[in-house]
Amino acid sequence: MKALAKILTGVLVLAACSPAPESATETTDTAQETTRIVNVYSSRHYASDRAIYAAFTEETGIEVNLIEAGGDQLIERVRADGERSPADVLITVDAARLYRADEAGLFAPTDFSGMLPDIADHLIHPEGHWVSLAKRARVIAYSVDRVDPSEISNYEDLAGPEWEGRICIRSSGNVYNQSLMAGLIARSGEEAAEAWAQAINNNMARAPQGGDTDQIRGIAAGECDVAIVNNYYYGSLARSDDPANNAVAEAVGLIFPNQDMGGTHINVSGAGIAVNAPHPEEARELIAFFLGDFGQRAFAEMTNEYPVVETTQWDNPVLEASLPFVEDTRNVNELGENNAVAQRVFDRVGWQ
Amino acid sequence: MISGSDRAQRPTAALAVAVIAALVCAAPILAVALIALSDGSTDYLRHLAQTRLPTYLWNSFLVGTIAALGAGIIGTGLGWLIARTAFPGRKIFSWVLILPLAVPAYVAAYAWLDLSQAGGPLDALSFGLFPTVRGSLGAGLMFALVLYPYVYLLARDAFAGQSADAYDAARTLGASPLHAFSSTALPMARPAIAAGMALVVMESLADYGTVSHLGAPTLSIGLIRAWSGAGSLLDAARLSLILVAIALFVFGVERLQRRRMRSHAASGRHRPPQRFKLRGGQAFAAFAACAAPLLLGMAIPLGRLVWRALRAPLASGLFDAVQHSLIVATISAILAAILGLSTAYALRSKGFIPVAAARLAGLGYAVPGAVAAVGVIAMLSGIQSVLDPAWRSLTGAVFPILLTASAAALIFAYLSRFAAAAISPAENALARVTPNLEGAARTLGSHGFDLMRRVHWPLIVAGVTSAALLVFVEVLKELPATMILRPFNFDTLAVIAHNYAGDERLGEAAAPALLIALTALIPMIFVARYLSRHASGDE
Repeated sequence: MKALAKILTGVLVLAACSPAPESATETTDTAQETTRIVNVYSSRHYASDRAIYAAFTEETGIEVNLIEAGGDQLIERVRADGERSPADVLITVDAARLYRADEAGLFAPTDFSGMLPDIADHLIHPEGHWVSLAKRARVIAYSVDRVDPSEISNYEDLAGPEWEGRICIRSSGNVYNQSLMAGLIARSGEEAAEAWAQAINNNMARAPQGGDTDQIRGIAAGECDVAIVNNYYYGSLARSDDPANNAVAEAVGLIFPNQDMGGTHINVSGAGIAVNAPHPEEARELIAFFLGDFGQRAFAEMTNEYPVVETTQWDNPVLEASLPFVEDTRNVNELGENNAVAQRVFDRVGWQ
Repeated sequence: MISGSDRAQRPTAALAVAVIAALVCAAPILAVALIALSDGSTDYLRHLAQTRLPTYLWNSFLVGTIAALGAGIIGTGLGWLIARTAFPGRKIFSWVLILPLAVPAYVAAYAWLDLSQAGGPLDALSFGLFPTVRGSLGAGLMFALVLYPYVYLLARDAFAGQSADAYDAARTLGASPLHAFSSTALPMARPAIAAGMALVVMESLADYGTVSHLGAPTLSIGLIRAWSGAGSLLDAARLSLILVAIALFVFGVERLQRRRMRSHAASGRHRPPQRFKLRGGQAFAAFAACAAPLLLGMAIPLGRLVWRALRAPLASGLFDAVQHSLIVATISAILAAILGLSTAYALRSKGFIPVAAARLAGLGYAVPGAVAAVGVIAMLSGIQSVLDPAWRSLTGAVFPILLTASAAALIFAYLSRFAAAAISPAENALARVTPNLEGAARTLGSHGFDLMRRVHWPLIVAGVTSAALLVFVEVLKELPATMILRPFNFDTLAVIAHNYAGDERLGEAAAPALLIALTALIPMIFVARYLSRHASGDE
């Protein structure tokens, strides 16, 4: 057994030491003098972002250290590390997570002015705790064969009895559905929102399964006639190299609802500077870069998201075709405020 | 029987390691429990009880039962075929059959839903007759198909280690092969099978990705919703206590199996069973039985991903990810095997401490990885808050290492989650060292380390390496703890696969998912070779 203990100690030491080079990259004080770095905690994991980080390092010489994980997980880690958290920039893909991170006191109030001349007010935290980087619209997809788009102008229309057994939508555990519901609550109140959720639940063609792409495929396959999905999933099918995906997209059209009734629901990816950021200056530079030409173009062209900076020039015919549309201009922060209520509404109506 | 005192004096070192194992495994769960019991109350749990809780519980029951039964049947049948029969391809199957374990259940789920849903190829080819893989049944089947290796490995080793006496006696008395199997071999292997099935139940109940994609809301969905939707980590932690209770129950049932087994304990004389030579149609049927789960659990889902991959750009950073995955999986597997074996040794004393330690260690499996990971973070940050001021008073600076940001933290998390998977196999392996055998060896002057090396090791090596292999593969595909605890710029294959799959980019997810399976092959080949050279159980 002694031998066993020896081996054990040996391996434990190895375990503690061997992959150390990775963790050593964050020893900030000594490294700062030679190379500038910025530590990013992001729940976005798109190729566009990797391209942006690479271009940022190229242009500024600032190295990007990256941890990608779910929004809630990142929030817990930053919170647990407290004052010693190496996080400089915290990025999430959903307004509700930004709100929660902010509630946990993780963002440093930042004066973004000067960085954001062309960003609408409702995309920025009221006190400058975070700023949106890109936005996506939650829209109604419909079968071009079986649905006349003039039948639908608002999300509310899908609650009608004529849609019974015709709607595909994913689980209410999905944060995009929760934020859509949060937006409805903000606009029409909890009671009306609950009645809507009840009606949608009754009108579903099938119990929720899969992601947004699967709902679009459901329309193309004839299992349902309409679906509520994020616009970029459609964009990714339409612009896929796979002809089968293109065919799915061709069988489907998009409606940007509520043009005269509060605007189409949008959600955002956003970033803020961590309250204990060891490199706040680099963090500012990175956020500015995200909002710069290269960053905004990458979102539009690689991930089919709408840039938040209106003046950005980009090339994406599918995304272009959806413009212009009227979006909900309530501050996206409200989506976070109503998120918990939204989920309870879903629970009460039994939306899986 | 050896006297109790002889037994009790031996395993002090093993006992120490067992207690360490228990602490490692249980610490995050205890941290979660502490969070659960901390102050502050919301009405969320009442809301949940009035709305979704019954559905969550019912789905958990369905998914767990289907997964356990499916994996139990597949794993036991294959274990028997491989251990006790001979047919063309058996040797290769004996280790290839473990491979589906390397396919993350959510990857199989994404691929099968993609294949079978309306508009998918299976739906089109069958004119809509092929049912969509979804709901509790679909999710349970997915788990059965990728987790059966747990049962298979343990059952195979159990069958291979059985003396053939009882079976032969039954045959001599006129029992059919099937009857002889079910009345002798099966009862003797029951503890091993039950141990495997217990792991399957726990892993399927703790899963999030599969059940959420296939629309089978289990308790772990409710728990994640409490955390991410309602924003209450507190309520999530409280809900996870229900899962811990279920785990205690499942492991309790498994223990019961083991205790009943005592009466079946084989004689000290070990006569390795002879293999039945299968011919013609029988051999073909055996071959098909082995090929089927490989096809359904691995070839078809991964094939679908590859089909999509050919039409999508290649994921980047894969080479680094392979290295990262290999490093953490290897270290964790070795450590887990050591912890598991030591715990198994300590358990032989049947003392209160080792038994309690082993049970505590088993809990790591019960809680969804995302919550367990939060437990690890809470615990590490607790330790940090003690270390920092202490270090400051000594040196004037904070403790030089931020615990949550090291690879050691990651390996700790893996151990706490998977070391339990190494205990049962080690225990079953060690059960083959019967007191009679040991007594004989001692009579011949073999003691201590020499006894272990010459008598124990050859008998347990198969079980212990299987245990290490299980942990290796589990770590390869582990997700939530990896996501939250990894150091900067430390992608693993599972992380990359999940990022793309979660993003609904199945094509890009294919390459990393395939690489997980290929990476798992490396130690499997190594272990298979080692065993065929050294082990007595498998010729």
